Amino acid sequence: MRRAVLIARAELALMFRSHVALIGVIALLLLSAIAAATSQAHMAQERFSRLANQTQTDALFEAQPARHPHRMVHYGSYVYRPIGPLAGFEPGIDPFSGTTLYLEGHRQNSATISAVRENSSLMRFGQLTPAFVLQTLAPLLLIFLGFSMITREHMRGSLRLMLSAGVTPRDLILGKSLALGLVGLIALAPAWLALLMMAIAEPSEAGAAALMGLGYGLYVLIWVFGIVAASALAQSGQAALLSLIGIWCFIAIVAPRGAAELAGRLEPLETRAATDLMIQAELRQLGDSHNPDDPFFAAFKARTLAQYGVTKIEDLPFNFRGAVSAEGEALTSRLFDKYFVELATTQRTQSQIVSLMSIASPAIAVRRISMAGAGTDLETHLRFLQQSEAHRFAMVQYLNRLHRDKLSQADDAARSKDPLAEQRTRIAADNWAKVPDFAFKPTSAKERMLAAIAPILTLAFWLASVMVLAGWSARVLRARAL
Amino acid sequence: MKHFWREVGFLLRQRASVWAVTLLAGLALLSVGLGLHDVAKQKAAISQVIDLQKQDSAAIKVFATEAGDAAYYRFHPTWNPPAPLAFAALGQRDIAPSIMRIRALALEGQIHENEAQNPELALPGRFDFAFVLIYLAPLVLIVLFYDLWSGEREAGRLASLEAMPLARSHLWFPRILARFGVVSAALIPVFWIGALISGAGLRDTIAFTGLIVALLGFWTLFAAWIAKGRGGSSTNAAVLATVWFVITLIVPAGANLVINATTPIPDGAAILRENREAVHDAWDLDRAATLQRFYKFHPELASSPPMQRPFEWKWYFAFQHLGDQQVESLSTFYRTGIAKRDARAGLVALALPPLAIQRAFHRIANTDLAAQSAYQDRIRAYHTQLRTYYYPYLFLAKPFTPADFDAAPEFSDRLAE
Repeated sequence: MRRAVLIARAELALMFRSHVALIGVIALLLLSAIAAATSQAHMAQERFSRLANQTQTDALFEAQPARHPHRMVHYGSYVYRPIGPLAGFEPGIDPFSGTTLYLEGHRQNSATISAVRENSSLMRFGQLTPAFVLQTLAPLLLIFLGFSMITREHMRGSLRLMLSAGVTPRDLILGKSLALGLVGLIALAPAWLALLMMAIAEPSEAGAAALMGLGYGLYVLIWVFGIVAASALAQSGQAALLSLIGIWCFIAIVAPRGAAELAGRLEPLETRAATDLMIQAELRQLGDSHNPDDPFFAAFKARTLAQYGVTKIEDLPFNFRGAVSAEGEALTSRLFDKYFVELATTQRTQSQIVSLMSIASPAIAVRRISMAGAGTDLETHLRFLQQSEAHRFAMVQYLNRLHRDKLSQADDAARSKDPLAEQRTRIAADNWAKVPDFAFKPTSAKERMLAAIAPILTLAFWLASVMVLAGWSARVLRARAL
Repeated sequence: MKHFWREVGFLLRQRASVWAVTLLAGLALLSVGLGLHDVAKQKAAISQVIDLQKQDSAAIKVFATEAGDAAYYRFHPTWNPPAPLAFAALGQRDIAPSIMRIRALALEGQIHENEAQNPELALPGRFDFAFVLIYLAPLVLIVLFYDLWSGEREAGRLASLEAMPLARSHLWFPRILARFGVVSAALIPVFWIGALISGAGLRDTIAFTGLIVALLGFWTLFAAWIAKGRGGSSTNAAVLATVWFVITLIVPAGANLVINATTPIPDGAAILRENREAVHDAWDLDRAATLQRFYKFHPELASSPPMQRPFEWKWYFAFQHLGDQQVESLSTFYRTGIAKRDARAGLVALALPPLAIQRAFHRIANTDLAAQSAYQDRIRAYHTQLRTYYYPYLFLAKPFTPADFDAAPEFSDRLAE
């Protein structure tokens, strides 16, 4: 072990003297700093703007004048997907999915206004975020600094010299790994620092931040041992460099795209337009509110009349039109839920297929940990959609209850023709404030930590594998040197 | 010529080169297959929705005997079919809808709708031919070039090779050309197969091929230039790889940050909300005044009689249009802002050939931001056609018959061309 430390120290001294290594490390640190600062500032601004939008939307809703409650059903409301405290570190899907959702009666809209549609195609090349720097660029720096660590000793003949002086190949591998690991630590430092600061600012996020930090630590270690092993196994420095760049390209660039493509191919999604039309068609099968003889609504009428022991709707103790609206909304909402479950299941399966591909690329695993930990993964978006729909339904049904209980049947029927009846169907504005505000419950820190466990284990498996590889490379090294 | 074939022969006897080139051709083939599948899927989705919409409209026709009912309940499909070369450069087509259903109501609330895609799949980017070309082909060229000179120097042969008569024209030039030729041969035929299957026009195919040649030419010249320098093999490889990732990863990401910071656009969410406010406020405003404001945009309808009842469809559709008018300047500002961001990205691309070629790909394949906004412009033009189709029935008491329901204008994807 002492020998390993000596080797590491010598290697680091060499790196420190080499301008290329120094420039590389400084460039990476600079990029990390820029990425951390800009990404954090951008997400903070987004967070603020969505909060401001939500406050303004809610205030507008409460400030609406006295109206027919069904007007408020169509007026509707907007919800804006909130941003978690760690999103500055890993924006994940946030720029790639709609952030604004319009909630209204009878309809389920799509989440709209996404950064990716407001940007030039440059955005699709990748975004400068701390996560991107660590996932994609840091390994490349480690490759450049580490590929010749052992091939160099081999070429110069110093390897044989060291081994005959009693240095074991294991010491050599360990020492070189230690040196490269230290560079990795420097590369990790800004990210860890950023995560630490976020955890201090938001202590409830500390667990998730710690798991993210652990994930990136494992990821960097995998590269460290992998690079040292490649350097030990390669016949020449060039061979080590080229194969490592090839491996990097596969792991960081090709595999994530390939996995996404595979998932989309295996689990195709319906277009939104087709789903909407299927819902409409199924709705007509179940009950058509435009058909006066529709069996569903006729049965509802008969049931309601029987329940109150009356023979015509005029004798009901409430406004039957409001009750029909509520019944119709319940019907459509059931279908929305049914199709949403299908959509969510397909999308979750897609993401699971991508996750499975982390067996081929640790970059996929670390991205999973990163997005799950930061609450910027698919799950957060799906929950936003699901909770928004629940909120929409509750809001509309509250208004439908007002429609049923607070309006006279005769006025409601005559309101399109009789201006006075129209005035009487307007109910007081203070009713609007009683609609509860949308309170998004994101995945809890605990859930996010649980979601990160499987990819952490995958990374641990990767690390164990490359460590075995590094151990084996020590044996090869001995055989080659003798 | 014989020198060229000799060098090709040498190249194909190196195991690593053959591996790299074969892998590249394989990935290109895969990307073309995936792209063709994707385009076919989008086309199928478009015709599926057109069919489903026909059934939906038939069901609406049964009860929509008034023009107002028809205009309110009936959606009309609009679509943005993939151009033949879209398979090679999918661009923005995965995140923007290829098909949208539109009603004669206020448009701003409809036109920003999104596709129901999984954002986690859009995040890494697409595995299309453009990706293989822009990202992967340069790496293969780097592998083939980095030790072209330094390898000979390190093997001690360089001096004698340089001393050869006509070394330049008989040795180095054929060597460079052989590498360029082999990589081109791995990519271009694969692209041509895809273009043939998708039925792309000759002109576009030639232009696209020209861009492929230009990109490979750029990297060939650059790699040869670095390789000819004094650096050792490993240094050359590292320098080339660094330039590659700076161009394809860092500069685009950095430029995007700068462009966004310097080119602000209005908050899209605010446009939606203001549109809604303008539309719904009308319920509490003086109806006659609303109609008068509307008639300024449509004086031909001003002869319509005053409203008789609290609710009339003509008033409803009048304030829908006024709602769009209210946010028109904001909406235009939003769209021109996005276009300006794109134009600035074009300026950045001028300095970096790979980015410029990527953009040219998306332009030819009609999958770029401009293609998306052209589709939106077609939707806007169609929406105007649609609402003005219903106006005479609503305002001028033109009788609305089932035949008029069927005669509503249909979207044409060539409207704006």
